[in-house]
Amino acid sequence: MIRFLLSLFIPFRWFIEKMGADYNQFIRILQLKLTIDNRSMKGLGNNSKNATENVLIKQSFSQIFIGLFFGLFLILVKSAFTFYYFSHTFLMVMMAMMIISQFTSILFDTSENVIIQPLPIKGNTVSLARNAHVFLYLSTMAFNLSVVSIIVASFKFGIISGLIFIFTIFLNVLFTLSLANMMYLGIMRLASGEKLKNLLMYFQIVIAIFFMAAYQFGLNMVDKTQITDMVLPVYWFTYLIPPAFFSGMVEAISTLNFDRSHLIFIGEALALPVVAIFFIGKYLTPVFTRKLMDLEQGDRVSKVKIETSRNSFYFRMMSFIFVPRKDEKAAFKLIWKMTGRERQFKQTFLPSLGYIVIMMIIPFFTKSFNYSELIQSDRYLLILYIFIFVGVTLSGAMSTGNNQQVSWVFKTMPIESPAIYFKGTIKAAFARFFMPIYVLLTILLCTVWGLWILPDAAIALLAIYLFSLLAYYLSKPTFPFTMEKMAFQGGGAFMKLFSLLITTVALGFLHKFLLHWFDYANLLLIPVYGAAIFYVNRFLVYKKITWIEVDSINNYS
Amino acid sequence: MHNQTIVEIQNLQKKYGKKQVLHGIDLQITSGQIIGYIGPNGAGKSTTVKILCGLISEFTGNITIFGKALRTQTLDIKKQIGYIPENAVLYESLTPMEFMEFIGEMRGLDTELTRGKAEALMNIFEMKPNLNQRIATFSKGMRQKVLICSALLHNPDLIFMDEPLSGLDANSVIMVKEMLIHLAREGKTIFYSSHLMDVVEKISDRIILIDQGKVIADGSFDELNELSNDENLEKMFTRLTGNTNHGEKATAFINAFEK
Repeated sequence: MIRFLLSLFIPFRWFIEKMGADYNQFIRILQLKLTIDNRSMKGLGNNSKNATENVLIKQSFSQIFIGLFFGLFLILVKSAFTFYYFSHTFLMVMMAMMIISQFTSILFDTSENVIIQPLPIKGNTVSLARNAHVFLYLSTMAFNLSVVSIIVASFKFGIISGLIFIFTIFLNVLFTLSLANMMYLGIMRLASGEKLKNLLMYFQIVIAIFFMAAYQFGLNMVDKTQITDMVLPVYWFTYLIPPAFFSGMVEAISTLNFDRSHLIFIGEALALPVVAIFFIGKYLTPVFTRKLMDLEQGDRVSKVKIETSRNSFYFRMMSFIFVPRKDEKAAFKLIWKMTGRERQFKQTFLPSLGYIVIMMIIPFFTKSFNYSELIQSDRYLLILYIFIFVGVTLSGAMSTGNNQQVSWVFKTMPIESPAIYFKGTIKAAFARFFMPIYVLLTILLCTVWGLWILPDAAIALLAIYLFSLLAYYLSKPTFPFTMEKMAFQGGGAFMKLFSLLITTVALGFLHKFLLHWFDYANLLLIPVYGAAIFYVNRFLVYKKITWIEVDSINNYS
Repeated sequence: MHNQTIVEIQNLQKKYGKKQVLHGIDLQITSGQIIGYIGPNGAGKSTTVKILCGLISEFTGNITIFGKALRTQTLDIKKQIGYIPENAVLYESLTPMEFMEFIGEMRGLDTELTRGKAEALMNIFEMKPNLNQRIATFSKGMRQKVLICSALLHNPDLIFMDEPLSGLDANSVIMVKEMLIHLAREGKTIFYSSHLMDVVEKISDRIILIDQGKVIADGSFDELNELSNDENLEKMFTRLTGNTNHGEKATAFINAFEK
């Protein structure tokens, strides 16, 4: 498989060398990265070939599954241009999310500096090899996400159209990757060391929100008055929207329509990724290697920050509410402090808050928005339950971090059940990050709908808390911030989360139903959720998270 | 407390997959001693230490520590032991004070007491000004000092050290050596795993040499030397582990890369 992937670069040897890289060194670095990925996917103590294949199959399956929903929706779209426009927009957003969550850790990985830097490696070779590595991952993901759409497109618009679509998918990957590179490397010119690390983190958060806003904007551009016959009007600024380049190119070739606007789209789709790559190679990459060394040294040379050891009133209050048991308090306190400082956590969690804000704001800017209709409706329930996604991200973000070998600390403590660490962890994250935002949101909603929605806000909070606890306790019990972010992660976790999400959406509908059934019927949910939370925290967590389970996943070396 | 058997290991065996790492180790360790546990790379030193600290729970054989079975009474044993790992890996975004507060609380110590102890211990290493700085800004030696302090917070009776001097400056090495001798005099037992032969030779009351998962020598340096007349532990080590042709190997090495 690795040989096959490497052979794909043979036709581009000239191009790679023109970019200032040594082709042989480029291939060797890429081969090394793919070999390491291949082995690390197997996990510790699991050396069977089947384990690797299972991870890949599960991963691909979950991506195809996500693409399935999108592909089935596209059956309704009659216009080829709109069909491909939607497909490429969807792909760009998914890739952007992937880049945000994985790209920085791959592109700015300093762990291999000690091996790579002393070697006489030519110019842009390292940077190009890193990008080729990401390109292979993104291409696989993009292809998996589009499998159903490709099949639908081939049936609807013909085989040729489907094949051109596949070609434009790779162009899209190249373009998105170049765009991300331009932005990241541009940022690298602005700062160094610790400042650069922080800048990169906030930049990632901003672009995550930007992509989500662009996605929402892109979808809102389509005239949806007749869902089966959606049409995308071509304005002057359509030529500036990347998904339009690729959709225009597919439509032009599959319908043999080479008018002025289609030729512009073809030109943009082919030229922009190539031009972007040259721009990166010539102007941005030269600073890359030097800045990478700065990044590694960043923590050491940066001004030392003295941390305050006092606990705030808010911490003491939340600690009192969330951790009545003394044994959980230490983990609660530890994680409370760490969540404010761990970059990977913030990079994963904060964008999700941004998405929620975008998803809540966009409907207010649509033409069909009507304030008086809004306050008569129960749409506040939807807004409250959307926060489930924040809970999901929070649970996931607690595991990933750069502290892969710290697990020994937990194992050497005289603790009967490791569950107390996990309880303290999720409670601290929930109390510190979720609660203040949720309270703020509730206040905002109360100003629109009135105080009578407070019981509903409390019920939704309980449902989300229950969901977050379950999502965390039922996932692999890795100690906080100790799991490496991998470019590929198993699909099993996704399926588990997906089924939990479906359940919670059902709970949202149950809430809505009770609200309209008879007065105060919704209040019945409070003791039900309360009891469920009690059961989960008091019994389920101890059953699920045992030392045997924890030992099988965490590495104490 | 002196001269009581506090660790008893019978036929300890460990496999990683199909590879047998420990081939039936039998040991008795009495209190108030510094045990130098030495051996070549891959001999099974760290594996033994990790098993004794409860980090590895899958092994065969019987181990009792403080008269309690390690398999069934791990928790009670962990309360009385301290562990300094080989790699100074800590949560980088924490400060030493926060890290030690966590360790103290998990061990059931009062927070104020932990803070006081942390300050006092770090002060000895001249690191009091660094107590509230993030560990990410520390050198390897500074991190090692944090690990040493946090392992001693709860005043353990048995201390396992896996290359504890790694990265420490010369003054700190001397200080730690002195500290170990003092702790042993007070009745503490120190299980000291290391590659540094001169340190082991100077501070250990008893030296245990393992090779390929088996104990091949056990006794004080003088006892072992009586049998062999090696000038120092390094020579004894090379002879017992069957690696005496270092000169030839060095020549072969140079030839290999100069070709």
